[in-house]
Amino acid sequence: MSAALKDMIRNPTVAELELVARYAALKADPRRERLFEAFALTGLPHRRNEEWRWSDFKAAVGALDASATPPADDPLASEGVATLKFTPQGYVAPAFLPPGLRLLPKDEVQAMGGAEDAPLGALAAALSGAKNAPATLMAEVTGETPVRLHMVFSGPGAINAARIMFLVRPGAELQVSESHLGGAAFSAALVECTLQPDARLSRVVYQRGGKGEAQAITALIHQEAGAETKQTVLAFGARVARIETRLVHQETGSHATLNAAYLAGDGYHVDFTSHVRHGARACVTRQVTKGAVVNGGRGVFQGKFHVPRNAGQQTDASMQHNALLLEEGAEVFAKPELEILADDVQCAHGNTSGQLDAAQLFYLRQRGIPLVQARALLTEAFIAQALEEAGIHEEALRAQASAWLAI
Amino acid sequence: MLKIENLSATVGEGEAAKTIINGLSLSVPAGEVHAIMGPNGAGKSTLSYVLTGREGYEVTGGSATLDGQDILALDPEDRASAGLFLSFQYPIEIPGVPVMTFVRTAMNSQRKARGEPEISAPDYLKKSRDVARLLNLDADMLKRPVNVGFSGGEKKRLEIYQMMMLEPRFMVLDETDSGLDIDALRTVAEGVNALRAPERGMLVITHYQRLLDYIKPDKVHVLAKGRIIKTGGPELALRLEKEGYDGVLAEAV
Ligand SMILES: Nc1ncnc2c1ncn2[C@@H]1O[C@H](COP(=O)(O)OP(=O)(O)O)[C@@H](O)[C@H]1O
Ligand SMILES: [Mg+2]
Repeated sequence: MSAALKDMIRNPTVAELELVARYAALKADPRRERLFEAFALTGLPHRRNEEWRWSDFKAAVGALDASATPPADDPLASEGVATLKFTPQGYVAPAFLPPGLRLLPKDEVQAMGGAEDAPLGALAAALSGAKNAPATLMAEVTGETPVRLHMVFSGPGAINAARIMFLVRPGAELQVSESHLGGAAFSAALVECTLQPDARLSRVVYQRGGKGEAQAITALIHQEAGAETKQTVLAFGARVARIETRLVHQETGSHATLNAAYLAGDGYHVDFTSHVRHGARACVTRQVTKGAVVNGGRGVFQGKFHVPRNAGQQTDASMQHNALLLEEGAEVFAKPELEILADDVQCAHGNTSGQLDAAQLFYLRQRGIPLVQARALLTEAFIAQALEEAGIHEEALRAQASAWLAI
Repeated sequence: MLKIENLSATVGEGEAAKTIINGLSLSVPAGEVHAIMGPNGAGKSTLSYVLTGREGYEVTGGSATLDGQDILALDPEDRASAGLFLSFQYPIEIPGVPVMTFVRTAMNSQRKARGEPEISAPDYLKKSRDVARLLNLDADMLKRPVNVGFSGGEKKRLEIYQMMMLEPRFMVLDETDSGLDIDALRTVAEGVNALRAPERGMLVITHYQRLLDYIKPDKVHVLAKGRIIKTGGPELALRLEKEGYDGVLAEAV
């Protein structure tokens, strides 16, 4: 390894040195270099980086040995739906592709806009293309009927780095479900999606990592005129898990629903971070995040709406985050941010964290429902709103939540 | 059946704890319906919460038994499984939990606690339909979240629906008549009367005599300042209606 490479990250940890070594072993490419540099500016993000102050990857990622825990089960898989698998060894394309979907494996790394703002997204892009895998997997969605695709990201291995770029053509629709099941010590996934005019994306994400694993799931969504995104995430966390969505309303009349629910058990950390830019007139964002955390668990919510002075007129945006602290010792950190420079806008936000309602609990118990079950029932009802838009996956997500709550 | 002896209880925590039930004794034999009447703030609702084990209500003396079993030592859910039911003066809203889910979960929890098998889905639905019809409840209402967006009267009818579904052995009805118009009152009373049985007991808390025209009590107790100050037959309720509480209260001193 050259001295220059080694010096890219200041005071590198063992894991960071390994990441540098992995990068150095890949085919040299100026775009890859740019991406890795974008990562190297922060290195593994840590608490002194403002955007990462509650989710310290540097501290959480030790040596990058294969994870000790097997991947979680996949509740979203279903017969007859094309499944794309990303593993530490590369990707496995489905045996058949649905009509309207074209996969275009690229041997050259593709550029990534705003790489500096998403260091772990940049890292995923810089490290993609190991061995037999393409540097970037591109996918084009066309046609009149919705295209369904399931993607699984799981170990075993040390590092699972994956990148896929969707281009949804005008009026086309992509229904993608993703299961991020862990099994690798460190996984970094980057999902990019450009929605051309009147294109639609529905994205359902299930995340469940091991107690010793670090996971970063980054999505970059670009919306042109009249495009629409509906996103639902259910996350159980990992030692540290970050689910980040960066969405840009690029042209007028675009619409986004970003819902998420998290359930953090003892020793699990879930971070939801989102950044929505209202870069065109009359765009709509609806965001609901609900969480429940027990003693020893940690939830993080960082939501930001950015509405520029001229471009963002007639923005209609709302952000809501509600957390339940189920036990003493549960921790939730929340930072809702509205950066509104335009004057003709409707923006609302709400942020609460608290306990289950004592009167409701008593009412359930008076009817004979045991305390533990009463808590589970109320908690499930509490997060249910965040899963309402998950369509055909709503039931599977609710079942997972309810099974977790029953323990 | 229900036997309360010299019961005292406080509401509130630490320094702020106030004695609300103060040496109350009362006994309802199986098969009987007793009414408790009393002025506002007398401690009627407090008594119902003490009996059912609500948090924040602390028993400081005396006892309460149901068929000889000390209920005050049980968790609220175990009191419910033992057959104690409270129709709340102010029913609680449970957003996100449909009535159907709620009542079925409650029913099966109680059955499980008693070592009985769960009710099958068709049996539950049939029973639910029958009860809803009797109480004039819209089937759609049972699909909605518990009490959310219900009118005062609907909430009270839903309490009685739950009572009829769960078939408790001992029922405490706290001001079930408030918020009901005369037709609804009649319907509700019909439901309550349907549950009267030799092996069941009932404590009907009310502010007005009106309800007792429809649910005929065996005895009427007057509760004031945390204890029973007078007990009589149904004629006592009529007298209270005519003269107000002042006369009876003055007599008792
Ligand atoms: N949670 C509470 N904290 C403090 N005081 C209470 C509380 N609940 C009831 N009380 C007081 O206890 C007394 C009896 O109340 P309640 O039992 O509701 O009366 P009733 O049902 O007979 O009208 C009232 O003076 C009331 O203010
Ligand atoms: Mg009362």
